[in-house]
Amino acid sequence: MAQLPVTEEQLIERFGPHLNREPPGGWNAGLDVEREVETHCCFCGQQCGIKLKVADNQVIGFEPWYDFPFNQGKLCPKGVKRYLQGAHPDRLLDPLERDPSAESGFRPIAWDAAIDRVATEIRRIQDAYGPDSFAVLSGVSLTNEKSYLMGKFARLGIGTANLDYNGRLCMVSAGVANKKALGMDRAPNPWSDIPLADVVFVAGANVAECAPITTSYVWRARDRGAKLIVADPRVTPLARTADLYLGLRPGTDSALMGAILHVLVANDWIDHRFVEHHTVDFDAAAAAVADMTPEWAARLCGVPRDRIVEAARLWGTSDTGMLLHARGIEHHTKGVDNVLSCINLGLATGKYGRPGCGVSTITGQGNGQGGREQGHKCDQLPGNRDITNPEHRAAVAAVWGCDVDEIPGKGLTAQEIMDAIHDGEIKGLLSICFNPLVSLPDTAHTAEALDRLEFYTAIDFFLSETAQHADIVLAGSLQEEDEGTTTSVEGRTIKINAAVDPPGNARRDWEIIVDIADRLGRRRYFDFDSTREIFDEMKLASHGGTADYNGMTWERIEAEHGIFWPCPEPGHPGTPRLYEGGVFAHTDGRARFHAVPFRESAEVVDDEYPIWLTTGRVVSQYLSGTQTRRIAALVEQYPEPLCEIHPRHAERLGVLTGDLVTVTSRRGSMTLPARVVESIRPDTVFIPYHWAGDRAANQLTNRALDPMSKIPEYKVSAVRVVKADGHVEIRDKRVTALTDSAAGTNGAAGTENAS
Amino acid sequence: MSPLVFDKMFVIDQSRCIGCEACVQACEECGTHRGQSLIHLEFVDRGADTRTAPMVCMHCEDPTCAHVCPADAIKQNEDGVVQSALKPRCIGCSNCVLACPFGVPKYFALPDQMMKCDMCYDRSSAGLAPMCASVCPSEALWFGTPADFQANRRGELIHEFRFGSQPVATKVATVVDDAALGPIDVMAGETAVRWQDDPFGIEEGWA
Amino acid sequence: MDRTSATAPTGPPPRRSRRRTPEVFGVRVDVRAAVWSTGAVLVVLVGVYLGSGGLQWFDAALAGYLIGVLLGVFATVYRYLIWIQRPPTARLNQRGWESFRRSGRVGRNAVGLVGLVGTNLLAQGFIRRRSTVRWAAHQLVFWGCILAAAVTFPLTFGWVHFESVGQDGSEYKAYLFGVGTGSFQAMSVVGFITFHLLNIAAFLVIAGVLVFLYRRLRDPGALAVEREGDFLALAGLFAVSVTGLFLTASSLWLEGRYYSFLNNLHALTVILGLLYIPFGKLFHIFQRPANLGIHLYRDAGREGAQQECRRCGRPYASQMQVQDIKEVLPMVGFDYSSPDGHWQETCPACRRAGVTIAQTGRVGGFG
Repeated sequence: MAQLPVTEEQLIERFGPHLNREPPGGWNAGLDVEREVETHCCFCGQQCGIKLKVADNQVIGFEPWYDFPFNQGKLCPKGVKRYLQGAHPDRLLDPLERDPSAESGFRPIAWDAAIDRVATEIRRIQDAYGPDSFAVLSGVSLTNEKSYLMGKFARLGIGTANLDYNGRLCMVSAGVANKKALGMDRAPNPWSDIPLADVVFVAGANVAECAPITTSYVWRARDRGAKLIVADPRVTPLARTADLYLGLRPGTDSALMGAILHVLVANDWIDHRFVEHHTVDFDAAAAAVADMTPEWAARLCGVPRDRIVEAARLWGTSDTGMLLHARGIEHHTKGVDNVLSCINLGLATGKYGRPGCGVSTITGQGNGQGGREQGHKCDQLPGNRDITNPEHRAAVAAVWGCDVDEIPGKGLTAQEIMDAIHDGEIKGLLSICFNPLVSLPDTAHTAEALDRLEFYTAIDFFLSETAQHADIVLAGSLQEEDEGTTTSVEGRTIKINAAVDPPGNARRDWEIIVDIADRLGRRRYFDFDSTREIFDEMKLASHGGTADYNGMTWERIEAEHGIFWPCPEPGHPGTPRLYEGGVFAHTDGRARFHAVPFRESAEVVDDEYPIWLTTGRVVSQYLSGTQTRRIAALVEQYPEPLCEIHPRHAERLGVLTGDLVTVTSRRGSMTLPARVVESIRPDTVFIPYHWAGDRAANQLTNRALDPMSKIPEYKVSAVRVVKADGHVEIRDKRVTALTDSAAGTNGAAGTENAS
Repeated sequence: MSPLVFDKMFVIDQSRCIGCEACVQACEECGTHRGQSLIHLEFVDRGADTRTAPMVCMHCEDPTCAHVCPADAIKQNEDGVVQSALKPRCIGCSNCVLACPFGVPKYFALPDQMMKCDMCYDRSSAGLAPMCASVCPSEALWFGTPADFQANRRGELIHEFRFGSQPVATKVATVVDDAALGPIDVMAGETAVRWQDDPFGIEEGWA
Repeated sequence: MDRTSATAPTGPPPRRSRRRTPEVFGVRVDVRAAVWSTGAVLVVLVGVYLGSGGLQWFDAALAGYLIGVLLGVFATVYRYLIWIQRPPTARLNQRGWESFRRSGRVGRNAVGLVGLVGTNLLAQGFIRRRSTVRWAAHQLVFWGCILAAAVTFPLTFGWVHFESVGQDGSEYKAYLFGVGTGSFQAMSVVGFITFHLLNIAAFLVIAGVLVFLYRRLRDPGALAVEREGDFLALAGLFAVSVTGLFLTASSLWLEGRYYSFLNNLHALTVILGLLYIPFGKLFHIFQRPANLGIHLYRDAGREGAQQECRRCGRPYASQMQVQDIKEVLPMVGFDYSSPDGHWQETCPACRRAGVTIAQTGRVGGFG
C-alpha cells in the first residue's frame, strides 16, 4: 500500500515544505563560529567550493572559499542559501512508519524495527514475484561513495537488475553520444578551456540560471575577444548578450546543427587533416546533411537564414571554439542525435584535444558526472563499465569477491521502472535521493504507479512528495552530514567534507544501506565501517575502467583542489583535458562521425494542441525542489511557476501579465499565472518544473523516451493555452520594484520589514 | 579617481548582470547588516527582455544623500566609503532615498530608518571582497586591484556620471568601452536599435 | 588599517572646494545662535536664583556642577540652532510645524503627538523592532539618565533640598522651591530609595552600557562600522555612573576616605559629560524629537498629491517632499535639473534602471 496515509494538507502541516528563514538562533546568533569547513555546494554539477560555518553541530552560515579554483568564491543564490537546509523544522529525525491513524500519517519507529520491516518486505516480494520485482531508484546528488554503494547494494544486497537513477533525467543523452562518438562518457574539457575559445557556442543551455558560475568563464573568453553564439527558444540572460542569437523552436536542434554542418561543408570550413587522421565516417555525416540547407533549416527552426550561415562562419573559421550544451538539446526523444550533431561540428572543424576546443555538456545534477560512473545506472558497473560486457563483469566480480553470475544483467531505466510499477510488474521499491512524483513526466501516471506498489521505502532527509507515499521512511543524511567525493561538471573529483553529524536519530545514508544489507544476510559484501573504506573499494573497482579513480586519495584530492579522472595510478596527475593530440577513447583512437537525419519530436503541434511547451529551471530552485522549496529566501525569489508567453500570443488570448492561463496537454492540465515576455518565441510557452501537485509542470509533459538514452522528452510537448479566470500580482522580488515606495509618503509603510 | 585607503576597488558593470540574485541573497549575510539585504536588483523591463539593473552604493565623493540629510546621519569615512545612516540620528525622513541619483538608500518602515550599502565595511576595510562581489557569478560586481582588472577584463574604468547638469564622481567604478567619451550621461536615455528588439527575427523572416 | 582613525567624526570631508561643507560647531561663530544660547544660560541662572529662594537653598558644594550645566546649556543650544538652520533641517522643521497646524487637524495632531511621544520617544518601539536586547539596553540607559537628571538638576539648582526633622537625624523632610513636602524616616524604605536614587540610576545606566558593550565587542560587523564617538559616549556614561557609585561606597564602607578626591573626580566626569552632549553621539537626544515632525510631514504628504515617476508613471512619494528635495538640493550645492525635468522626478527604481541603460549603452558585446 503506497497511497497517501492521510490528506496532503495533513502531510504538509507536519512535514512541510515549511520555510526556513534564518540561521539557527536568528540573524544575530551566528557569531561564535567554531570552525569553517571547506566543502562544496550540493546544488548542481558545478560543485562550487564553499566554506560552511559551524557552531554547536549546526551549519550557521557560509564564507566564500576564494582559494578553490573553479569558482573562486563565486556562488549562485542557491549556494548562498544552501546552509539553511540544515537545522530545518522539516528535517526527518527518526525512521517513520506509515500510519493512517496518526494525525500526520506517519509514526516514528525504532531503527531496528524499520530495517527489519524493509528487509522482510524485500524478500517477501522477491520470493513471491521474482528477484527483479523489487526495484531501486537512486539519485545523483549522492556522493561517488554512496552511488557506488547503491549500485552494489541493488545488485548484491537485494539482487535485482532493476536499479536506475535520476541522472536518467539529466545528462544521459550526452553520455550515450559521447560514448558512441568519442569512446568515453565525460565532458572533454576542464572549464579553464572556455576562456581560451575564440567562439563560444551555447546550445540549449540556460547558463545564467542553471550553471551561473559558468557565466564568468564565458565572459573571460569574451574579454579576450571571443564571439558568443546562443541557440535557445528563449532569450535567456546569457542569450541577451550574445553576438549571434538563434531563437529556434523546440525540437529542431539537430536540424540547426545539420544546417550548420551543411554550410561548413559547402564553404569547405572543414579541418581535413583532423578529419582524415582522427575520425571515421565523415562522409556519412556529410551525406546526411546534403539536403539540410540553411533555407530549409530557417523555415523549420524559425530562425533567419543569415544567422545560421553566420553561426557556421563563426564556428568554422575560428581556430578555437567551445560548444556547450545542456538539457535544452538533451531532453528529447532525439537527445542522443542532437548531441551527436553537435559533436559532428566539433570533429569537422578539428575542435578537440587542444586548449580552448571541445564540445561539452554542462552536467546539471550535483554529482551528475561522478554518480553514473560508479555503477548505479541500470547498464553500468563501477568505472563506467558496461554491465553486459563479460570482461567488465568479471573485473568487478573480482573486486566484489562474488561469482560473476551473482551480478544481475541490465535492468530497466528510471521511467521504464515507473512504467513497470504502473503495469504491476514491479511490486516493491526502495528510493533514495529521487522525487519522481515531481521530476518524472506525466505526474498523474507516476502517482497512479506509486499507489500500486505493495511496499515502498524511501531514504530521505525531508519527506519529499514521493516519500509521502512510502510505507517506511528512513531518515538519512544531508550532504553536509557525511563525507565523500563527487565529480564535477569538468570531470574533477573533489572532496565533500562533513560539517556536522546527522541530527536526532537520523543516520548517514551508507550506514542505513549497510544495515539493510546485513539484515538481508549479505553482510559479507558490505563490510564497511567508514565512508573512506567505501572509497577505497570504489577506487579498486574503477581501476581499468574508463573512469579510473585508482590513483586518487582523499588527501591528494584535497591538496590538489580536485583530480580529473582518469587517474589510474598513484602519482598520476589526472587528466584535465581528454583526447589530447586527437587520440580518442575508441580502441582505434579515432572518433566517430554519425549521420544524423532530422526527425520530429514524439509529439508535434496540431489544431487541437497548437502551441509548443518547453520546460526548464529557474536560478533559485534545484530540481524537484525538495531542498530549495524549503528555504524562504529562495522561494521568495521565484515563489511559483509562471507561464512565459509572447505578447503576440498573449494578445490573441487577451492575457496580460498576472492573468491566469490554463495550459492543457494530452496528459493533463494546469492553471498558473502568465508572464508576458518578448523573450520567448511566439509559438512556444515555457513553464519551470520545480513544483509539486497542481503546480507541477510535469503534469503536462510527455513520457516519450529517447530510444538510446531513455531520457524523457521534457523539452517538447504540444499544448493548448486558454485564458482562465483570475489575476494575481506576480510576486517575483525583481518585479515588485516599488519597494522604494515605502520610502515615500504614499503609505506603503511596513513593506520592508526590518524586524 | 578617488583616493583609496585600501588598494582594491569595487567595480559594478551592469551590462554583465545575469539577474541571478546571488548578490541579493549574499547581501543579508554581511556582518554590518545581518538579515537585511541592501543591494538592489530588478528587471529593467521584464516584458521586453531579461536585462536586470543591479545597484550598490556608488559611494559618491560628495554624497548627495549626506547633504540632504536633516539629521547629519550619513557619514563618509576618510577612505571614501559612505556609511549607512547612524542609527541614533536617522529620523526616517527618506530625503536621502528621494535625492540619491542612483536610487540606493532603502527606507525600512518598522525601525523607521534608512539603511544602505556600506560596501560590507567589515570585509572591505580588511581587504576582503564584499559579499555581493564575492559571490557574483558574472563579475558584474567585482572587487580587486586595478591591475587585476586590466589583466583580465576588457573595457575601461570610469568614476564619473552626469545627471542633467549635475556631475557626480564616485568611489565605485563602472566600465565603458571608451572612457575618453566622458562621463556616463544617465538622463540621455537609450536610442540605439539592437537585435534584442526583434530577437526571433520575425521582421527579418525565417527563410 | 586603523578603522578608528580612518573615520571622520562629522560630515563628509571637503573633497572639493566647489562649496562649503555643512556647518559644524566651532568653524565660525554664528552671532544669532550665540545670543540665543547666552539667553538660555541667563534663563537657567534666573531659574536657579528664583527657585532657590535667592540662593538660600543653593548648595555651594554643587557650584561646579552648576557651571557644568551652564556650559552644557550654552553649547547644546548653540549646536541645536546651527543644526536647525541647515537647509534640509530647516525645511523639515518648517514642514513639520505646517503639517501640525494644517486646518482642522490641530486637535487630532496634538493628541497624536502625545501618543507618539509615548510610543517613540519614551517606549522607543522603533528600537525594539530592530532588536529586543538593543532596546532593553537603551531603555536602561535612557531611564537611568532621566532619573539621574531628575534628581541632579533640581538639587544643583537648589530647587530641592532636605532638612532633618527633630534632633536625632532619623527623619527628613524634602522641600521643593522652599515648600515643604512629605517627611520620611531615613531608615525607612522611602528613605532608602530617596537617598539612593542616584545609585539606582547608576546601576540602570551601567547595566545598559554593559549590554551595549557586550553586543558591540562580540559583533565584528558592528565593530567595523564603529565610530569613535560610539565608545566615547558609552565610556562617558560608564565613568559618570561608576564615579558616582564610588562616592556612595566611600561614605558607606570607607568611613568617607578619599571622599573629597572622588567627589572632584565625579564632578569632573559629569561636567565633561555635559560638555560632550552637543558634540557627540548624545546629541541625538535633541535630534530624535524631529522624528515626530516627520510623522506629521508624512501624514500631510499622504493626504496631498503624489509624485508620479517620469519613466514608469507610478506614484513613489508625495509631491510635497519631492518638491522640497528639488528646492533644497540647490541650497546644498547640487543641480540635477535638465531640459526634460528634474532627475528626482524619476522613482528610485527607474533611476537604477536608467543607470543600467546608460552604462550598457557604453559597452559593446555584453548588452
